[in-house]
Amino acid sequence: MKRPIRILAAGSTVAAMALIAAGCSADDGGDSDGTVTITFWGSYGNGGNSTQQDVLESTLIPAFEKANPGVQVEYLDVPYDDLLQKLTTSAAGDELPDLVRADLGWVPRFADLGVLVPLSQEMDDFQELADATYPGVLATNLWEGEYYGLPLDTNTRVLISNPAALEAAGLSAPPATFEELQAMAEALDGTDITAFADGGLGAWNLMPWIWSGGGDITDADLTTSTGYLDSAANVKTIQMLVDLYQAGQASSGLVGNEGAISTSEGLPGGNYATILDGPWMTGIWAGQFPDFAPVYSPVPAGDGGSISVVGGEDIVLTASSKHKEEAMDFIRFTQSEEFQLALVPTGQLTVIESLGDKQIELDPQLAVFTEQLATARNRLAIPNASEVDTILNTELVPAFEGAISVKEALENAAAKIDELLAS
Amino acid sequence: MTISSLQARAAADAVAPGPRPRTRRRRFPATPYLFLLPGFVLFAVTVVYPITQAVQMSLYDWRIIGGATSEFLGLANYARALGDDHFWLSFGNTVFYLIATIPPQIVLGLVVALLLHARSPIRPFLRVLYYLPVVTSWVVVSLLFRFLFADQGLINWTLGTTGVTGGDTSWLADRWSGMLAISALGVWKGVGWSMMIFLAALQGVPQSLMEAATVDGANRWQRFRAVTLPAIRAAMAFVTVMLVIGAFNVFISVYLMTGGGPAGRTDVLLTYMYRLAFGDLEFGYGSAIAVILTLVVLVLSLAQLRLFRDRDGVTP
Amino acid sequence: MSRSTRRAAGIGLGTVRHVVLLAGALLMIAPFLYMVAISFTPNSYVLTTPPQFVPENPTLGNYAQALDAQDIPRYFVNSLVVATISTAISVLLSSMMAYAFARFRFPGREVIFRILLVGLMIPAVMLLIPQFVLAKHVGLLDSLGGLVVFYVAGSLALNTFLLRGFLEQTPAELDEAMQMDGANAWTRYWRLALPLAKPGLATATIFTFLACWDEFAWALTIINDPEARTLPIAIRLLAGQGNNAVQWGVVFAASVMAVIPVIVVFLVFQRHFVQGLVSGAVKG
Repeated sequence: MKRPIRILAAGSTVAAMALIAAGCSADDGGDSDGTVTITFWGSYGNGGNSTQQDVLESTLIPAFEKANPGVQVEYLDVPYDDLLQKLTTSAAGDELPDLVRADLGWVPRFADLGVLVPLSQEMDDFQELADATYPGVLATNLWEGEYYGLPLDTNTRVLISNPAALEAAGLSAPPATFEELQAMAEALDGTDITAFADGGLGAWNLMPWIWSGGGDITDADLTTSTGYLDSAANVKTIQMLVDLYQAGQASSGLVGNEGAISTSEGLPGGNYATILDGPWMTGIWAGQFPDFAPVYSPVPAGDGGSISVVGGEDIVLTASSKHKEEAMDFIRFTQSEEFQLALVPTGQLTVIESLGDKQIELDPQLAVFTEQLATARNRLAIPNASEVDTILNTELVPAFEGAISVKEALENAAAKIDELLAS
Repeated sequence: MTISSLQARAAADAVAPGPRPRTRRRRFPATPYLFLLPGFVLFAVTVVYPITQAVQMSLYDWRIIGGATSEFLGLANYARALGDDHFWLSFGNTVFYLIATIPPQIVLGLVVALLLHARSPIRPFLRVLYYLPVVTSWVVVSLLFRFLFADQGLINWTLGTTGVTGGDTSWLADRWSGMLAISALGVWKGVGWSMMIFLAALQGVPQSLMEAATVDGANRWQRFRAVTLPAIRAAMAFVTVMLVIGAFNVFISVYLMTGGGPAGRTDVLLTYMYRLAFGDLEFGYGSAIAVILTLVVLVLSLAQLRLFRDRDGVTP
Repeated sequence: MSRSTRRAAGIGLGTVRHVVLLAGALLMIAPFLYMVAISFTPNSYVLTTPPQFVPENPTLGNYAQALDAQDIPRYFVNSLVVATISTAISVLLSSMMAYAFARFRFPGREVIFRILLVGLMIPAVMLLIPQFVLAKHVGLLDSLGGLVVFYVAGSLALNTFLLRGFLEQTPAELDEAMQMDGANAWTRYWRLALPLAKPGLATATIFTFLACWDEFAWALTIINDPEARTLPIAIRLLAGQGNNAVQWGVVFAASVMAVIPVIVVFLVFQRHFVQGLVSGAVKG
């Protein structure tokens, strides 16, 4: 150990002390010159594609700051997959920002923890703002009678078909009903095309089928799943999927095989005829499969009609925020036409029902999605919604494998969900 | 600063206790504590104290928010684990991973280290190549291995073209084949790591003993048994213990290759625990599983260290 | 065995050895090569199977985009500073601890060592919240200092365990000789034990640097200030939204760039794997 190393070690120690000292003088809000800084966490920038973040940071936030002198908005981009972990830890350490763009499934969870402000109590004009949004999207903010957020952006799943595969099945249009889907599967028997593909059996995957088949997962008051999830309608719907799977007409990705060809690759590649997916797929395929012309259509209709599932994000205000008034002004701004439409070209669907037509003008490909959203519904709004996905996957796979009957599998899942609702 | 005070203290303490066997009686052997002090204080505050809090959490139905009242459960979280089928399934998968990955990492790591120990013009170059998997991000290689083991991936393609199998194995769709694929990644990524430790340890093998053994007519294998192995005993103990710890903490590869699926059948202890904690906010139960895991690994490690203890009774 | 046949066997063995090693090496680096290939492939949202090792229309666009999308040079410097300082402190402190364990017998020796082992075993994710709250109370949130402190703490146990084995090999004869000359414990540690444990120190340095360079979960949790971000956070931001619209080419381009310093550290320090220091000094 010669001199340089010793110097390096000593120098490092000094530098570390300096860093620590610098850390100790951490600032707080920056109120010194009279301006108020509100912090906002989300994951707008994604996949190396920063167009959403650019619009937010260089157009929308400056516009807000101009209209609200003395207020600054500091946006922090957090990787999507890690936002929940960071929010959970920050909630435990009482270090949450003022505003969060939260996945809509997280709102009941953080509301239950008591770290969010019920906007329906706090904002005078809440009802007015809420009425303008899609009901299915607004519902994601409801927890124990109060609304803890407002919808920020939304999306939904529609049926996307490969035109060549439709042709191979002798169809001129995508299957519009359960029966047409089953007929298509029969027509594709013997080809190397699989009629339908999906990536799992979670609520995001299954609910469009369950609702369209006329069933549901619990009663409206979220008290019981038994008697609902295991209803005759659901048995019929899930049996259809099981039959497709066992006939080789539904991908093994459905039962959790991560080695199955992914839906984003298999649909343009001609392995799959149809998938259910969101508006972001267009951008993915435009780059890598420029010759692929996907066909968008509503979720196939069953006895309950064509009903899809709502996705997207809500904006919530934290209880620890020191600048609630300013933060609520920003929430109001997110509901404006200016904010909503600015993000449409970047692949975010508006949550304001009356802006639907303008959205389609901006991007005609969004017509099917906009239409589907009008009737789309929300998944279970409970704090531990992620456990529902685990239960559905775990309990239903044996039915797809033929180990137990669909009725039995649904009863098992319903019993588990009952426990969850009771806790 | 602690370091200079240590130096001063040590200077005053001119006749410090000698190395191991000669334990000279001293009233207060301050020197070793001074060497331990700076590191251990930091460790105690930033690691040991949080561990005690994690243990505390495991006795409660822990509500993460400060100020929220958590219900004291005693050992109920531990009892819950013992009666939880999924805990045992995850435990079984972890043990499978342990058995499938540790022996190959030790044997291959040692073989490569022995081969790379000998002089060669391209030695540094080869070392880098073997070390590359270690430095490549877990996220990236987990995704790559998922594609290798996909239904239409390279593994199936190779097996199919060479006629070993039909090439239609759904590796990631089944518990054991899924665990096998995950273990393959573990071995591939880990060989370079154990190779490094062995390479460093091989520098301490007494060359004179090696030559003496050669003169005595010992063959390669005998020299390896009689000279090399005893000389790298401490490194061997370190590698085995660390690999056991690592195997019990396997996470990202499982998370990204199978996501614990299908139907949770390839869950390992950490994927299950992570889902409980950050997915379902069951921090109390998650901590209980963490504590159980730690105790199991501790017992295994102490047993291993005892096994590697040399004739003088010195633990490596 | 005559001299000539022995030499012939040596050459034969050398060739076999190299063939085996190169074949193994190819297996080891194939995934890495694939990553490099993708980093030069335009518009790769979907990783196709079987892997394509030669891109059809190679491009540097992904590298440009990775560098352009964020303030990568700044994050690179942040990571470099944090990893270098953490590694230096950690190797220093842990070699001191290892020296205490290797050279002294004292009350509490085994207990302290076992506590260190427990620190290695407990899953880090369960410590995230207690450590976050602790860091908040000591004012280490949102600063590079907070990374250094916890990276040093997190690597101490492993390094101590590793170095203890190397420091035990210091020949007792030399140690005693120095003691006779009146050298105190610090001098014997600094002038004798450390130089003789160079391969071990080099290994500890290589591993610690890699661990600090790659660390993600803690950095993500405590860093909010975009200017204090480290490289893994930036890469994760590129990898973005689950499986939706990830531009693998850009992610891999950033990953390839991120591997370079680790390789440099490895190359620099693996030269300290020098044969014969110990054995030469004692028996020679």
